[in-house]
Amino acid sequence: MLEKQNRLTDYDPGKFKRKFNVLLWLVSFAFFLLISRLWYLQVIKGDDLRQRSENNRIRIQEVKSLRGLIYDTRGTILVDNQPSFDVSLIPEDTKDILGVIKRFASLCDLDGVDLAKKLSTTKFRKPFVPIKIDRDIGRDKLAIVETNSLNLPGLVVDVVPVRKYVFGEEIAHVLGYVGEISAGELGDDYYKDYRSDDIVGKYGIERYLDRYLKGVSGGEQVEVNVQGRKLNVLGRVEPVPGLNVTLTLDARLQKICWDAFTEKAGTVIVMDPRDGSLLSVVSKPSFDPNLFNRGISEEIWGSLSKDELCPMQNRSISGQYPPGSTYKLFVAAAALEDGLITANTKIDCNGTFDMGNRTFRCWKKTGHGSVDLHRAIVESCDVYFYHLGEMLGVEKLAHYSKRFGFGSKTFIELHGEKSGLVPTKRWKRERFKEPWQGGETISLSIGQGFFLVTPLQLIRAYSAIANGGVLYKPRLIKRIVTAEGDIVREFLTERESTIPLHKKTLEILKYALWGAVNEEHGTGWVLKRKERDVSGKTGTAQVVGMPEDEEEKEREVPYKLRDHALFVCYAPRTNPEVAVLVVVEHGGHGGSTAAPIARRIVDGYFELKAHDAGLMVQSTLDVSPVSGISGRDGT
Amino acid sequence: MKIDRRLFVNFDWILLVIVMAISGLGLLNLYSAGFNLASSRGEPLYIKQIYWILMGLMLMIAAFSIDYHIIIRHAYTIHAISLLLLFLVFFLGDITHGSQRWLVFYGFSFQPSELVKLTMIIALARFYKDNQIDEGYYLRNTLILLFIIMVPFMMIMQQPDLGTSLFLALLFFTLVFFMGIRRNIVISIAAVSSILAPLLWFIMKDYQRERILSFLNPERDPLGSGYHIIQSIIAIGSGGFFGKGYLKGTQTQLKFLPEQQTDFVFSVFAEEWGFLGVFVLMFIFLSLILWGFKIARNSRDLPGTLIAFGVTMFIFWEVFINIGMVLGLFPVVGIPLPFLSYGGSSMVILLIGIGLLMNISMRRFVLHP
Repeated sequence: MLEKQNRLTDYDPGKFKRKFNVLLWLVSFAFFLLISRLWYLQVIKGDDLRQRSENNRIRIQEVKSLRGLIYDTRGTILVDNQPSFDVSLIPEDTKDILGVIKRFASLCDLDGVDLAKKLSTTKFRKPFVPIKIDRDIGRDKLAIVETNSLNLPGLVVDVVPVRKYVFGEEIAHVLGYVGEISAGELGDDYYKDYRSDDIVGKYGIERYLDRYLKGVSGGEQVEVNVQGRKLNVLGRVEPVPGLNVTLTLDARLQKICWDAFTEKAGTVIVMDPRDGSLLSVVSKPSFDPNLFNRGISEEIWGSLSKDELCPMQNRSISGQYPPGSTYKLFVAAAALEDGLITANTKIDCNGTFDMGNRTFRCWKKTGHGSVDLHRAIVESCDVYFYHLGEMLGVEKLAHYSKRFGFGSKTFIELHGEKSGLVPTKRWKRERFKEPWQGGETISLSIGQGFFLVTPLQLIRAYSAIANGGVLYKPRLIKRIVTAEGDIVREFLTERESTIPLHKKTLEILKYALWGAVNEEHGTGWVLKRKERDVSGKTGTAQVVGMPEDEEEKEREVPYKLRDHALFVCYAPRTNPEVAVLVVVEHGGHGGSTAAPIARRIVDGYFELKAHDAGLMVQSTLDVSPVSGISGRDGT
Repeated sequence: MKIDRRLFVNFDWILLVIVMAISGLGLLNLYSAGFNLASSRGEPLYIKQIYWILMGLMLMIAAFSIDYHIIIRHAYTIHAISLLLLFLVFFLGDITHGSQRWLVFYGFSFQPSELVKLTMIIALARFYKDNQIDEGYYLRNTLILLFIIMVPFMMIMQQPDLGTSLFLALLFFTLVFFMGIRRNIVISIAAVSSILAPLLWFIMKDYQRERILSFLNPERDPLGSGYHIIQSIIAIGSGGFFGKGYLKGTQTQLKFLPEQQTDFVFSVFAEEWGFLGVFVLMFIFLSLILWGFKIARNSRDLPGTLIAFGVTMFIFWEVFINIGMVLGLFPVVGIPLPFLSYGGSSMVILLIGIGLLMNISMRRFVLHP
């Protein structure tokens, strides 16, 4: 006890003095260490880290621009944007995910099990990122979802603008369609400033003018919390909507052409020969571009791409056909220009033409007798042109053909244009390693054999005849304007060349074309209107060379082997303002299949014209009574 | 018990002012940390923290009113009760985040491992009071040391709470080294721990290993364990010299900062108050610690010195480890920042510790019979 007492009283506080001094230094050093680190982080690296904290909280979200609209020449909307409604689920916002899915499915007649499966396969998502469960639900379902929203927590409806192709299949090939940019396109230099989820034009005008139609995406600077949930919008750069495009097409005429063409496959082109403007371009069969809006289904895509009739192909620029008898006009032009014949040169047609050991037949077995150029064109006498072909030879035919724009692209503002084919001796040698045969020139002179044209080339060449020899670049786009209406780019008429044709030659040819429709025995008699204002030429393009002697009826020939029917015409006779080309694939004879279609179109065109003129009169009539009333009020 | 008038005269007002200043800053900061958080259980945490402070202040009064010599007399009993509570955790404890650390009384949850930090200091003070003369280590002493440190260390390890158990060991050795220890013991401890350290790696839980690895390289897994450290450093650094302003810390208010009311509460403060604010806070902490040393040095007897020293080092180590951790200097361990982190047990225990400091401080002139 005493000992312990001693210990207590013996206690010397100074005993620890040295230790406390050391501790003081140690603790101060520890604090100095922390303060140094704080200085480093807050003062030296402060700006960097502040930037990182900004990056943390601020996200830039893209605000997509609306795509430009496409109008026809009269201002009718051809392509519009319309809202599409997508349904998504934010699982964090609901406790009963399956219940919500089931209720949604039963309300909208969907398979709930399927949806739930879809939801469970979505892995690796950030919190609060919505999962898409149904696309493009339509307004009826939207109404159901909206009215039941209280029972469907976590379900959100997004409004996504999509393209609306007002005329569906009718103008599909010219307008094209849009879709999400593909990996291949992203790798392409042309698309180097595009982003991975951009919607781009895939076909037609949508593709050709994508840069104009696209617009400029805006952005939103949003403050987010750690879950990525949007809290505030700090700044917003408005997107610039895409530019609007006006085409030269007339939607009403397009509809007339679409309705007139009742055959399986083929194309119709209506061109204004005065400047090369395209008024209508129909290609059949067609597709519905609206189907591509939200990503086309495997199934539909499969059926479209595997279809033997190739509905995705724009036949007016990608189809290549032998011109058949429509080519005779250019053979005649060549012979006249070359001085080989005059309008009075007569040739005797007995129904056949011999070349070496081959015999070429006229379509009229009994022959046309002695015919001049005019009658040869009117009645489409083959033998006459066999002789012309023999006189001219393949090289001269090729020379004149190229003058009319055959064998090279027209450079219309669409992708996928083909250049056709103008055969020459050299071409044959390179292609087949064989010399040119004399008989091939004979076939060529009536537009058969190797010679291939695109429908667009053909109507352009006929337009050149109609307008006095000017070859225009086909014009499809009129102008590009901003949403406010300011003109960004005007597409003016472009003369490609003027074909050096004598006035006399033109007169002979035009008279012959008029005759082919309006004179007796004319092959294009179907177009003989009471105004007698149409000039045109039929054509029948052989798909396979049929044995000359075999007498087979059209109906018994399998579809794929039947001849293509062509008809090309323009009107009125003087100062032509409209040219129409109809190509019916495997349609048989031009005069019987293609010409009636052309007739309906020409009639339709003039009815429209009369209607418009009537409207003009109407509107002037409308104005006068109004002014009359106001005048009366004044007195 | 007769109360000496000198006790009031010698009351340590400065210590009280320092502690109130820090707690005040802590409350202000906690309000900001919870500003945009909807508390799951009604009241916001800063209100709860006020309750805890009030409760802690009452216990603080008790802690300085009872002469610490009486406390020393019952030191082992007090430590035994604290170990009993720790033991009860295994049967009655609440499990949160995969470990069992809490006892719940009438809605109040309490962490006995916090209490053990304090009772271990008292028990150790008692041990050194009894064994002043170097008497060598008898079996009895070994058993007492086992009772003081090894039992709680193992129990807390089992909860599992690696951070707290290592902290306990750290505090224990701080006191032992302070008292002086023979060289051969130092060597043997060093040898044993160098063998045990790799073993520790294997008994550690996956998340604990992950923390160590991500401490060594935070960018290793920026969205996983490294995320905490990176976000904390961004928060602190982005505060800059003047801070972003009170309630304006984006890292805090947008909840990029993890555990912002508990372990990472310092980052909240640093983001909003900047280097300037942090400097002031550190200054106050340093003052508290130096004041604690002064009390320890001025104590009339060894147990007083030891308790004061123990409590002061308790606070120092928590401050140093917590701030070092949020600054990315140490791995992430669950050590709270004294007076700033939300936590009832920590707050109450710290205030009791402060009460003990006051107890020793105001009795420095009293001679005992």
